[in-house]
Amino acid sequence: MGIMNAVPGILDPIPGGKHLVNMLDYVTNWARANSLWPLTYGTSCCAIEMMSSSMARYDIARFGSEVFRASPRQADLFIIAGTITEKMAPALQMLWEQIPGPKYAIAMGACTISGGPFMYDNYSVIRGANTLIPVDVFIPGCPPRPEALFHGLLTLRDKILSETFRDPWKEGIVIDKPYPDRWSEATKAWEELEKIKDEEMAEARLKFKEEQPGYKSPYKALRVAKEVFPEIPHQPKPLIGLPANTIFSIIKKNFPSVSPFDNDPSEPALMARPSDMPLDVLVSKEEYVDLIQFLKEDPRTHLDYLIDVTAVDWIGHFDVITQLMSIEKGHKLFIRLSLPKDDSIPEENRATSLLAAMPSIYHLYPAAEWKEREVFDMFGIHFENHPDERRLFVDEDFKGYPLRKDFTHPHILKRPV
Amino acid sequence: MSSRKLPPGFREEVLDSDTEEYFVNMGPQHPSTHGALRLALRLDGETIVEVVPHFGYIHRGIEKQAESMNYLQYIMLSDRQDYLTAIQNNWGICLAFEKGLGIGVPERGEFIRVMLAELGRIASHLVFYACFGGDLGGQTALLFGFKEREMIHDILDEVTGSRLTTNFFRPGGSVHDIPDTFIPRVTSFLEHLEKSMVDYERFLSKNIIVLERTKGIGILSKEDAIAYGCSGPVLRASGVSYDVRKNDPYGIYDQLDFDVPITYRGDTYDRYVVRIAEIHESIKILRQCIKLFPEGPYRSKEKPSIRLNPGSYYSATETAKGLYATYVVAASGDKPYRIHTRGPSFANLAALNNMARGHKISDLVSILSTIDPVIPEIDR
Repeated sequence: MGIMNAVPGILDPIPGGKHLVNMLDYVTNWARANSLWPLTYGTSCCAIEMMSSSMARYDIARFGSEVFRASPRQADLFIIAGTITEKMAPALQMLWEQIPGPKYAIAMGACTISGGPFMYDNYSVIRGANTLIPVDVFIPGCPPRPEALFHGLLTLRDKILSETFRDPWKEGIVIDKPYPDRWSEATKAWEELEKIKDEEMAEARLKFKEEQPGYKSPYKALRVAKEVFPEIPHQPKPLIGLPANTIFSIIKKNFPSVSPFDNDPSEPALMARPSDMPLDVLVSKEEYVDLIQFLKEDPRTHLDYLIDVTAVDWIGHFDVITQLMSIEKGHKLFIRLSLPKDDSIPEENRATSLLAAMPSIYHLYPAAEWKEREVFDMFGIHFENHPDERRLFVDEDFKGYPLRKDFTHPHILKRPV
Repeated sequence: MSSRKLPPGFREEVLDSDTEEYFVNMGPQHPSTHGALRLALRLDGETIVEVVPHFGYIHRGIEKQAESMNYLQYIMLSDRQDYLTAIQNNWGICLAFEKGLGIGVPERGEFIRVMLAELGRIASHLVFYACFGGDLGGQTALLFGFKEREMIHDILDEVTGSRLTTNFFRPGGSVHDIPDTFIPRVTSFLEHLEKSMVDYERFLSKNIIVLERTKGIGILSKEDAIAYGCSGPVLRASGVSYDVRKNDPYGIYDQLDFDVPITYRGDTYDRYVVRIAEIHESIKILRQCIKLFPEGPYRSKEKPSIRLNPGSYYSATETAKGLYATYVVAASGDKPYRIHTRGPSFANLAALNNMARGHKISDLVSILSTIDPVIPEIDR
């Protein structure tokens, strides 16, 4: 609207021209405010509420915003629905730059205001969309109800209606200050208030005590009767598939060095294992693949389904737990591999280097590909013979491995205690 | 051409065709990728040679954050993984915690759990129905799917106080009892839903455009489905009868009478059919629960502080997407040492390349739609 911005300069000095400019403002704002075309952009929970609000029950068309555009070039409203992570941030900024002005942004949900539930102790969530793009309206809620989104839309409508060609639309500023610690501020302010109150009231309190030494408040606190609940012990469901002792005896016959991880290897102790906790066996690195191959192919166990591969960091060593199941019979088996951390790496490089290595089971279970990649990504454990070992969730140039216990990241904000 | 370096993730041998293949990026902002998923496509003309998904655009570090929260606080984060089946995720987490605490759930509490979870399953499948219709270009299905879903959310809103992120279950039961209006509302909703399901099936199930675009598209064989670790409707559409509710029952599912619908072709249409049949099974379960709904306490005795006995605990539940497994490692203290969740969408998506190979780009949208992935649950 470049040429329109020059109009007030020409018309305002002419008698009666001010009214003409006002009229032009009114018409343009009316058109802009009542047909905001949002961009289809949603990352998480808020996106579902955004979808709900555009459906029959809530019907966002009442506010002129039903035309959700998949291309930023056709949109003029950016509803940021959902958490923004560091990996997503460049894409978000690019989308904003692709929208032609005048354009407006609504930050929907707690995540886009401050990080919301992911504000503290988190290494990947951006704390506030306003650190990336200029935001016009914030809508609190987790997720906000459709009604709240409409309130946000109407607030934006009011803002647009107050625009004029005398002060044309321009892109706002990005507030990339570190997130202020409102909690400590509020606590401190509250303590100061309390101190003033105590000082002011000290005299009166003393006087009151002297006048009425045996004073008792006539009011009784009303409390809802506390409900009494029965104590119910946990009852495991009946066993599915082979019992733990049978599975272990099958393993023991072929792999004598394998031992149960958190159970006594004797027959009665294995039989006493609760039926809802699968047997967890500890295996050496050399036998790991052979054992899994044997258990997959043996018709008695037939563990053909890989539930998951995950790991635990026990400061001194990693435990990698491969969770297997038999679809046909239903029993499960956890295979645990204890990997000592590599001590030869100097202290300053430990956080960014791979500290352990183990064989991949990709050739047995194709499902293991991404699960092993996740363990590699999160713990820094190298998988030998893995077809595609890249970072899975974080950026390629991300420093460190998040799920290690000694992981530190400059982005992390500690929760004040 | 063989000397050309492929972008990361692509592995297949170069085709020996005359045409030059090219690469297309789909996402992370794309209406058909159901959230922040990025797909890198390798194309020969319009035919897909290879699909490589890229994750992490909504990686929120939930598993790391869980280590600095206590057990009860973590239940809130489970809502935000798969927000379409939040109530079932709550259940999965609570099952694992109950094992560590050694507490059980009274009968009424179990019925509340089953009923809410089945309502959540219907809601999730209705979103699938709506998105599936929408992705194929059918706006009618998109609008209708959300219509009945709103009624479920009214019920959930009344019971839990929240439409989407319920945060309702606790170890030992639920936060509070259900209101008196719950059973009548569910009864009248089921009557309404059964009538409208006739409409639903008329729109898509026998629609010639849907049949043409889905039959024989994205076939996943039984062996591949198991090998890729698929679960839920994706696995059952390929002819494998595995449902955690039936094969590894939790709650009171072993006392209820319901069937596990399976189909054998494993194509896009079958995955759709399985989900529609599951809505009917959920209605059946809900009707039984209404008939059997007992009086009594809704939860067992609260512990003064939630501290799991040191050890590791595993629980498996069947959400609308598939096998949702939780692995909790507890050390001393009131915080988990490690919590890992196995999301069904993550494993189901692993089979995408297998399904989409050789089909056209437009088929990829319908294949992805019937996997029904929820990306925050993949990225966590």
